Amino acid sequence: MRIYNKYIISLALASGLINTALAFLEQTDLGLYFTVNIITYLVITLFYVYLNPRARGALNTVGVVFFAGFVVVIALKLMEIISG
Amino acid sequence: MAGALFAPVAYFILSSVPIAAVGMSAIIIGFTCLALANARPYISPEACQLILKTGMENTASLLEELGLTGKAVYLPSAMRDGHPQALIPLMDDGNIQRLRGTIPGRLIVRYGVNPDDMAIAVTTPGSINIDMLATKPGPTAEEIEAAATYILTGVLDIASSVKVTMSGAQVVVEVSAPRLPYEDIWYYRCLGSPIASIVATISSEALQKPVRIKEESYSQSKSRIILEVLS
Repeated sequence: MRIYNKYIISLALASGLINTALAFLEQTDLGLYFTVNIITYLVITLFYVYLNPRARGALNTVGVVFFAGFVVVIALKLMEIISG
Repeated sequence: MAGALFAPVAYFILSSVPIAAVGMSAIIIGFTCLALANARPYISPEACQLILKTGMENTASLLEELGLTGKAVYLPSAMRDGHPQALIPLMDDGNIQRLRGTIPGRLIVRYGVNPDDMAIAVTTPGSINIDMLATKPGPTAEEIEAAATYILTGVLDIASSVKVTMSGAQVVVEVSAPRLPYEDIWYYRCLGSPIASIVATISSEALQKPVRIKEESYSQSKSRIILEVLS
């Protein structure tokens, strides 16, 4: 199996497992699903250090966009907590 | 695309957060696939194969015409004007065990003190690939393994994994699922398969010593390459 296939399959399996686990825990906060999925994406991408430089560059760009989304969700949660 | 449609439908109409999360995951994987698809090389694999075969056939013709049957010795860039290359001795019994100083940057070169110590210096797939490494690997098995994995698995995508072990003057490399395995042709008998050539160049550069491909075997979708480190 090629490295790209392994990478996509591991992402799909991890997100499937996380969504199932959070659903079993009866979580109803979409922000939580989003943040956990983004963290998983960033961690799995870090494991694939051997991807070619062009692929890594493209994935880093996608990662920055996802991370920005993650920061927005965290900021909204913080504002919610502060405002009571 | 499906995830982008599915997530809002699940969240606003079905009012199901877990199903909306599945849609969101599909969006993440979709963007990842899109990024990887755009990172494909500019030149098609068929064009790359054509260029590789052309180069190999030209070198093979030269080797056959000169009747060279000796095994090539891979030199580190420091011994070859900053560009790693392979030396093939002109004499059948050419014993390149001890090379003297830097080899001049020509096609036909003298590597020893005797008049018969002549060889031809050729560029191999490994010579070109060494420039793709950001830093030169160190002289340990782990560093050679990391560099070989980066080139063979990440950059070229021609193997699944690489394992390197070192014992004395031997470097043993096991390559899983190689997509350019060894063939019994003149070029491979002299210079080794492209995978062996890449591994030999990386090892030579890491150890800063000449390296020869001693043995190359293929079984159960695994390639085993034994390299001999020359002094």
